[in-house]
Amino acid sequence: MAEPETEPNASKSKRRPIVRLGIFLISHSFFFSLVLSTAAVLALLLLPVLAKNTYISENSLMPGSVAPVLSDEEVAEANRLIDDLTALNSKPVGSAIGSRRLVAQYMSNSGAEVSFHKFHPQLNQFHPLRFFSSPDSGRIEQNVSCALHGVNTVGIIRAPRGDGKEAIVLVTPLNSAKVSKNEALSLGIAYSVFSLLNRVPWLAKDVIWLVADSQFGEYAAVSAWLRDYHTPVFSGQGTINAEMCPESNNLHGIEENHFTERMTYDGFKRAGTMAAALVMKVGDRALQYEDSLSIYAEASNGQMPNLDLINTVNYLAVHRQGLRVKVDKLWSLLDMGWLETLGEMFEKLGHYARSVYPQLKFGIPAAEYIEGSATLASSLYYQALGIPTGSHGAFRDYQVDAITMEFSPKVYTLGNKRQNDFLLRSGRLIQGVVQCVNNLLEKFHQSFFLYVLTSPSKFVSVGVYMIAFALLVAPLPMVAASLFVNASNSDDSLSTEKPAHLATAADSAPSVTASESSPSVTASESSPLLSAADSGSLATRAGCITLSSWKWLFAAKKSFVVYLWGSVVSLLPYFICQIPNCSPTTSFIIWVLLSVLSLVVMYMILASPISDANDSRSQKEWAILKSVTLSAAFIGLCLMSIINFATAEIGGLLIVPMCLMAHPLKLDVKTRSLRTMLRTACNLVLGIVGFPPVTFIVLKGAFEGCGSVSVGDFWSWVEFLWVWNSATYLYIGVVHLPSWVLCIHILFHNC
Amino acid sequence: MEEQSTKPTKKHRRFWTWLTASVLFRLILIYFPQNLNLSSRPEVSTPLTSLRRLAEGYWLKQSSMSPYAGSMYHGSPLLLSLLGPLTVQRIDGLPSHLLCSLVFVAADVLNSLLIRATGQTLQIAYRQSLKSLDLDMISETMETLPSGDIAALIYLWNPFTIAACVGLSTSPIENLAVMLALYGACKRLVPLAAFGWVMATHLSLYPIILVIPIILLLGNGPDTPRQLFLLRRHAYVLLLCGVSVKQYGGLWEMFTSMYGFILTVQDLSPNIGVLWYFFAEVFDFFRNFFLIVFQMNILFMIFPLAIRLHHRPCFLAFVYITISSMLKSYPSVGDSALYLGFLGWFVYELSEMKFSFFLFCVYVGVSLLSPVMHNLWIWRGTGNANFYFATAMAYACLQIVLVVESVSGMLNHDRKLRNLSSAKLQDGKS
Repeated sequence: MAEPETEPNASKSKRRPIVRLGIFLISHSFFFSLVLSTAAVLALLLLPVLAKNTYISENSLMPGSVAPVLSDEEVAEANRLIDDLTALNSKPVGSAIGSRRLVAQYMSNSGAEVSFHKFHPQLNQFHPLRFFSSPDSGRIEQNVSCALHGVNTVGIIRAPRGDGKEAIVLVTPLNSAKVSKNEALSLGIAYSVFSLLNRVPWLAKDVIWLVADSQFGEYAAVSAWLRDYHTPVFSGQGTINAEMCPESNNLHGIEENHFTERMTYDGFKRAGTMAAALVMKVGDRALQYEDSLSIYAEASNGQMPNLDLINTVNYLAVHRQGLRVKVDKLWSLLDMGWLETLGEMFEKLGHYARSVYPQLKFGIPAAEYIEGSATLASSLYYQALGIPTGSHGAFRDYQVDAITMEFSPKVYTLGNKRQNDFLLRSGRLIQGVVQCVNNLLEKFHQSFFLYVLTSPSKFVSVGVYMIAFALLVAPLPMVAASLFVNASNSDDSLSTEKPAHLATAADSAPSVTASESSPSVTASESSPLLSAADSGSLATRAGCITLSSWKWLFAAKKSFVVYLWGSVVSLLPYFICQIPNCSPTTSFIIWVLLSVLSLVVMYMILASPISDANDSRSQKEWAILKSVTLSAAFIGLCLMSIINFATAEIGGLLIVPMCLMAHPLKLDVKTRSLRTMLRTACNLVLGIVGFPPVTFIVLKGAFEGCGSVSVGDFWSWVEFLWVWNSATYLYIGVVHLPSWVLCIHILFHNC
Repeated sequence: MEEQSTKPTKKHRRFWTWLTASVLFRLILIYFPQNLNLSSRPEVSTPLTSLRRLAEGYWLKQSSMSPYAGSMYHGSPLLLSLLGPLTVQRIDGLPSHLLCSLVFVAADVLNSLLIRATGQTLQIAYRQSLKSLDLDMISETMETLPSGDIAALIYLWNPFTIAACVGLSTSPIENLAVMLALYGACKRLVPLAAFGWVMATHLSLYPIILVIPIILLLGNGPDTPRQLFLLRRHAYVLLLCGVSVKQYGGLWEMFTSMYGFILTVQDLSPNIGVLWYFFAEVFDFFRNFFLIVFQMNILFMIFPLAIRLHHRPCFLAFVYITISSMLKSYPSVGDSALYLGFLGWFVYELSEMKFSFFLFCVYVGVSLLSPVMHNLWIWRGTGNANFYFATAMAYACLQIVLVVESVSGMLNHDRKLRNLSSAKLQDGKS
């Protein structure tokens, strides 16, 4: 950031190469930012091509040594459970307790310890500070309504070869009010495995089967169980909880007690730390071709389970059970024309590259490219949203690797034989995965945690996708530095020129310094002070000049106020939520009004224009403000890329062009050339699209059609985000919105 | 003239409003300790400054055991008797450790007042020296920059200071001792300076190197045998400590568990310094060697800096504190709070410091990145120790750049003044 132009040539040759490189980059920042931005978009589009095949990194998993021991015997037992459960449905009364009791009965018959876990579904609340603390500290004590409670059924197999310090968790949802066919099937799969695991000799980790009561949503049930599992209640507190709802507790107690007193246990039962968790479901979708398995892995804030878990499941499903494994895709991308063209282009490029250099493994078929990008897009989308795609997300908060496996049978109505086959294959897969995890010596750590899937067997690791992001944000500091240097240089030259004609003895100054043989750098720097010292009338100006390196303080103050305002705006919904009977649209309007009001108030109080009188003198004030904006956006994006890469990437695609293009409209309109007009148009479009609600509406209209878009949708969407404690919400409020406001401020700057 | 007389009062009032606002802000934050959870952050509370450990030490002492038993407490026995009784007193309905927090707030306010007073003294001295060089017109511009007020407000409103104060770390009290020493030396109050220096050294050991700037500051001070005096003070403090720990183990145990703990880097839990990572990796048989190397690192820089900056003892103290807070074994943000406040004293001298904006941006970035990396490593489990250590390294580099740039800025300023006065002389001749 040293001033390159004002100094004599003598010092230029002395500079170290890294400084010269920096100056070169800064002085050509426009060209470089153009190149880097293009490269960033290209790198993003290339990601499906650069994806690598997955491989099992942890040796001790040993998926090859798994023998499918699950036999027809267990399947027959599972069938019995399914039949009993479906039979319960025909009985109208008492099926809620009946199904639970039935499952518990089966569990204890197979030799497991059974316990019930009663929980009150906690309403998710807006709690912005939760992200930086442990999962437990975010627990909000609130009045639970006693009528609402669910009961999880938990069965635990104690491992014959283990010391009870580790466990594997199987989760199946069960809506005890009404058992659907799918839930019965998933219970059947789990039960077949569970009853087998009770007899196998090799088990070294305890197995927990959690039948989650899904009447309030399965996520709530699983997270409540996990919370109680990880926060042991010592004497005293437990009784308080029980006293809160005495009558419901009794009701529950009486009904449970009279059938399996000796086998069930009212207290909370635990096994060891969890090595992995598998959530099993049976999906509705019927596929014509073959049985398939969908894997859902995204947890809160774009966290993923260790890739080895997905690899193991994928390996066993494809190579052993012949299931078709799928990951979610963004279907609307599949029939987009430009993507197809791009895919064909990459394919041709790959052919060409291979003809030049055969060893180069570059390029994939166009169809695969399209599939890959659709999967990548959906993976990025769910990570960016920061909301778990299933109840496996609750495990990730406790550092347990978990995925949801959704089995879809070939045809909807299963015949008896087909059903047996389906149960056998799914059960064998689960049994294989459990056996692999059982082989583990440590917790999953070998493979990646930070990755994006482009197909079940292909992934893009952090080292590759960060390149695209780095290219995207690299122009920000570069342009910021160049603006900053230019602004301070122009001021320096301004200040040195003005006193030059006033000063009389200024000519003698260089000779003095030369005679002292001090470095020429100091000579050029001290000249303003020297000349100022000659005439006392210039003293005040000298004071301003010497502060030149701190001139950014005013701009920094301004942007600090805006960022503070951003955090206020993101706290406002907490209060707006408490207004009763508010439709989303009115809440949204209240939010916008309050935000504008607070912006005006804060700007009046904190960024009072007293100090601005000082620096509005400088024509380049907007340049310094822009440089501060760019730096702040850079810091914000880098932080976000560590918290949640996908949000930062998508947010960066919106913010970066907006920030880089920002230029005062007044200046552009004054000089009516084609270039400035183009820039004005770009600025206006970006400025409008950059406003978060508009962005939301535009994106929603693009993907879902314009018919059903309303302003209230944005409020509902944002509410959805903060209810799940998504960091994306904080990002929008604290990084995106302030950057947008600062850009708008620069656009309408009067200079 | 009237304008000039009203201006300072206005400024005074502004200073006091900001000071009250900062106290109020702290009190508000103190009221929400659970939500912030600052006292468990590694950036804020180190094994030496954590109040939780102090409470444990006090509990041990109350139950007639040595407070240093079990390697929980490593602070001074004097802190134990000062803050210990406050840790056990609870007021219903208010957060625990409220009284301690109030003590820390008071220490912060006192610190800022001392910084302000010292800054004003420095400014007066600087103006006088300018007058003696016949450079009055520059000193006129300084009127607009009350460096004492700026330094005090930087100290008070620095997020690091606020975090250290609200996060229940004892570093405000350590800073208070350092400030007392510097203030006393500036005002030529030898007993106060000696007391402050001895207390600071006793509390955290590293301020021992401040003896050079203090002696330089006292310079042509009152005719007292300084060294002897300091020694006697130290003996007093030792006597006090001896009395308070006598029944639980004696002085030697205090030395080993305080200074030994500091010097041998026994606790390798992560902090914002660089030593924990290194000593977690180093082989055991090299450990002693590297301990000596790392601790001597601070001492190596003392004499060259003292020779070069002997005419600016306060700036020398700033440089020493920056270096020691970079290389000390258990640094916390409380240490950086102190030297960043000192930076305000030299706002005029350093007005042409390079990279100021860059330094500011990196400070913001690092202080936000550090909790995120910690979260990634400890709570999410997707990162590892290298992630957190990367921010610690960035922080260390930042401090190095700050020291280098501020020293070169200061030297440039001095050179400029010299040129100016010699030009003046030539003018006068011609």
